[in-house]
Amino acid sequence: MMLSPERLALPDYEYLAQRHVLTYMEDAVCQLLENKEDVSQYGIARFFTEYFNSVCQGTHILFREFSFVQATPHNRASFLRAFWRCFRTVGKNGDLLTMKEYHCLLQLLCPDFPLELTQKAARIVLMDDAMDCLMSFSDFLLAFQIQFYYSEFLESVAAIYQDLLSGKNPNTVIVPTSSSGQHRQRPVLGEASMLEGVEASLFYQRLESLCDRHKYSCPPPALVKEVLSNVQRLTFYGFLVALSKHRGISQALGALPDKGDLMHDPAMDEELDRLVVRSRLHRTSRQHRAEKPGAFGFQRRDKLEALEKVPSASARTPYPYRWEPRQ
Amino acid sequence: MIPGKFRSVSGRATNNVNCGLHLVIQTSPFPEKNKVELRLNKETPSFPGRLLQHDLERNYSSRQGDHINLVSSSVSSFHILQRSSEEKILYSDRLTLERQKLTVCPVIDGEEHLRLLNFQHNFITRIQNISNLRRLIFLDLYDNHIEEISGLSTLRSLRVLLLGKNRIKKISNLENLKSLDVLDLHGNQRDVDNLPCLQRLFLSFNNISNFESICCLADSPSLSDITFDGNPIAQEPWYKHTVLQNMLQLRQLDTRRVTEEERRMASVVAKKEEEKRRESHKQSLLKEKKRLTINNIARQWDLQHRVTNIAANQDRKNSDSPSLDPCQMDGSTTSAFPEETGSLDSVLTNALQALSVTDTHLVDVDGDTLSLYGSGALESLDRNWSIQTAGMVTTVSFTFIEFDEIVQVLPKLKMKFPNSLHLKFKETNLAMLQQFNALAQLHRVDQLTIDPQGNPVVNFTLWKYYVLFRLSHFNMQKINGTEVTQNDMIMAERLFGILAHVASSELPHYRVISILGDARKKQFRYLQETKGKKHGIVNEENNDSKRFVGENTNRAMLNYTTRDFYNEKLEETKEKKKFCKIYIEDLVKEATEISMKKEALQKLWPQMFIELVRDAVLETRNKNSYMKLCLQQIADQK
Repeated sequence: MMLSPERLALPDYEYLAQRHVLTYMEDAVCQLLENKEDVSQYGIARFFTEYFNSVCQGTHILFREFSFVQATPHNRASFLRAFWRCFRTVGKNGDLLTMKEYHCLLQLLCPDFPLELTQKAARIVLMDDAMDCLMSFSDFLLAFQIQFYYSEFLESVAAIYQDLLSGKNPNTVIVPTSSSGQHRQRPVLGEASMLEGVEASLFYQRLESLCDRHKYSCPPPALVKEVLSNVQRLTFYGFLVALSKHRGISQALGALPDKGDLMHDPAMDEELDRLVVRSRLHRTSRQHRAEKPGAFGFQRRDKLEALEKVPSASARTPYPYRWEPRQ
Repeated sequence: MIPGKFRSVSGRATNNVNCGLHLVIQTSPFPEKNKVELRLNKETPSFPGRLLQHDLERNYSSRQGDHINLVSSSVSSFHILQRSSEEKILYSDRLTLERQKLTVCPVIDGEEHLRLLNFQHNFITRIQNISNLRRLIFLDLYDNHIEEISGLSTLRSLRVLLLGKNRIKKISNLENLKSLDVLDLHGNQRDVDNLPCLQRLFLSFNNISNFESICCLADSPSLSDITFDGNPIAQEPWYKHTVLQNMLQLRQLDTRRVTEEERRMASVVAKKEEEKRRESHKQSLLKEKKRLTINNIARQWDLQHRVTNIAANQDRKNSDSPSLDPCQMDGSTTSAFPEETGSLDSVLTNALQALSVTDTHLVDVDGDTLSLYGSGALESLDRNWSIQTAGMVTTVSFTFIEFDEIVQVLPKLKMKFPNSLHLKFKETNLAMLQQFNALAQLHRVDQLTIDPQGNPVVNFTLWKYYVLFRLSHFNMQKINGTEVTQNDMIMAERLFGILAHVASSELPHYRVISILGDARKKQFRYLQETKGKKHGIVNEENNDSKRFVGENTNRAMLNYTTRDFYNEKLEETKEKKKFCKIYIEDLVKEATEISMKKEALQKLWPQMFIELVRDAVLETRNKNSYMKLCLQQIADQK
């Protein structure tokens, strides 16, 4: 893959763009500019190292603005993975949450994450019914994965579906009741001529040509074919649900583990247990020290590892050079 | 209970005018009346006998009709009464008109020396047409329908006025009856009014239940003896001292002598009551004002929200392409026609402006609670609060204020009200979990109350756990009234511990510093803007850093910036982003050029190399000529 002829055949700029190298470069330089005072402490080389390391590890998207989070497929996948890691415990606990609450959780990681995306993801889970319903973590996560990672692709698919539905293709049977792809209409009983959705094979043809155009950020066409081969007809949301539940697609994405393993993360669980124990100690010890509110600080013996990693943040000395009043 | 003593009181009169007066008003149940024989002394046995011992038997019924002609006059609506001259001479000083089915008092002609007039058992509603009977001493209007004492102002000789069993509601218009000795008002519904000469007043069993009906008696300077027993008023706890306080001239109350001690007690109690009443009146006025202000603020809040809702819905409508994404308008918002919503919007904004003219915020300190209503109230935190008041405040309650606005004044709150341990939020539009991050900057919060009204965040399943997790360093005791248990804390840690861990340990170093630095920068900026004393600021700074260390640093990553600030920040970075883009583009261009050149060189090199070699070989083919050429080149160089 590395030295494939097609890769070498691309002109430089296009190649860079395809791999989103420029995005990261630009972002790196931008971050450097924003934090130049802090970075100048320990050198630019180290900064770049850290930056690209975090890109590789997928932690670069944490608490970043939405425009950056959705900028590249890798960012999106990293975000999905981060969301999974951070809130897997919620799922494990068995809580069912509403769309709004999931959105809140998303916003904890990305403060300006748009509500529309969460809504669209919820629609996939709930089949566009009763948007206030509770959803399980895994259902939501898988639907959200498809929606977020392939959002442009899905938009095009919706357009295609609409076309097919409204009869641009003469072979389709028009479903009179459905006015937009998003509405799932209950089929009228006893009317054999009224059929829901579109023909699967026709749909696939159009999708295939779409995939060819969208070189990336598209589910592998073979898997799409698999999804569509099982049914005669399908609705838009039926298609999306099938996509979200298809293990192959999820694996191809590579962000999340298999559905069965969604609740599994032994390393994190260990870490969590340690945290819980520490917090328990904290609470009891703090209760003992309730009379001395100011006695926190370095006297604490039960520091978290995180503190050690952030020595300068917890230092008592202020940063006089940073606190110039702005404008 | 009829009081026992009934002496003639004329001896007590101190004025020139005979103002001794007995007033008996009682409602003892009557025996069945003797229809024919009317004996006054039966009904009212306590009357002094003197005047009443007239021989009624002589007058009675059988002879009445014969002697009295009631002539209806065509001029007036009154009957004109005439007696035969025989009667007139016989009974010149008395006239009996009882049971005549009279509805009005007839005009009595030519009887100016009448001394006794009897209108018993009629249906007379008004006392009229007797003003010419100036010699009248005895007037009996018992058992009529008289509603008002009137028409007696000329009867200066009247000494006995019997108005029992009427419908008199008020005692009035008796001022001119200076000779009045006996006034019978039993069996009426009446308020006792102002009587200038009244000395003794017996009001037993009159169903008096409140003081207002007899407060007019307080003005009577002559009243010295009064009884109220058998009335509901006598059962009241405040009865005795109220009566004594208001009727200072009283000497006997309920046939018991009023002592100095009692009077003094009465006045003290009365004064206290007055105080209390004034105080509570003031309080209720204040409360009313507060309530109105709060209502006003609520209305304004409502309107504001409806306006923003409509605006948001319009935006959604405009931005969504109708075919792909029909916007989900809930039923409560207005119609789908943009024109209509536009006009409704303007109506609402107009209403909003109108409201803002009146009181739009309220600040209320009540012992240990500081209540703020309306966003304008936040400015009150700038006021100079006395250390004592501020120190006492342990609860701060926010109502009808946007949470994002509250966030911005939290540093001020921290400074001015250091003992605030309990925060209450109602109708503050608290809708997202991350908003709770903002509360982390406070000193300490023991209790948190988020009222479901106006705070959608309460509908989330996990909100309490998130609060406990994010604000774990506060060791909160209660959330919305329920105690926080160890299990709650553990659950909170379980649910969100990884988030904190990831946030702190997996972020690159420079991000950690920048996020922490941002938060501290904001706080410090606030401190610089306040007019605190220098050493105050320094202290705050130290406390701040202490606080930061105290707070679980891994959680400190989770900050909340209000939407506006966030967008501001993003705007600021746009410039930088543009520059970076251009810079990188330049770099890329350079790099691609170099790369292209390299590639071109790669392509061309073999050819070039061959040419080089060929040229060299050609040159050195003839050794001698080549040597000459080289030498020449060297010589030329010099």
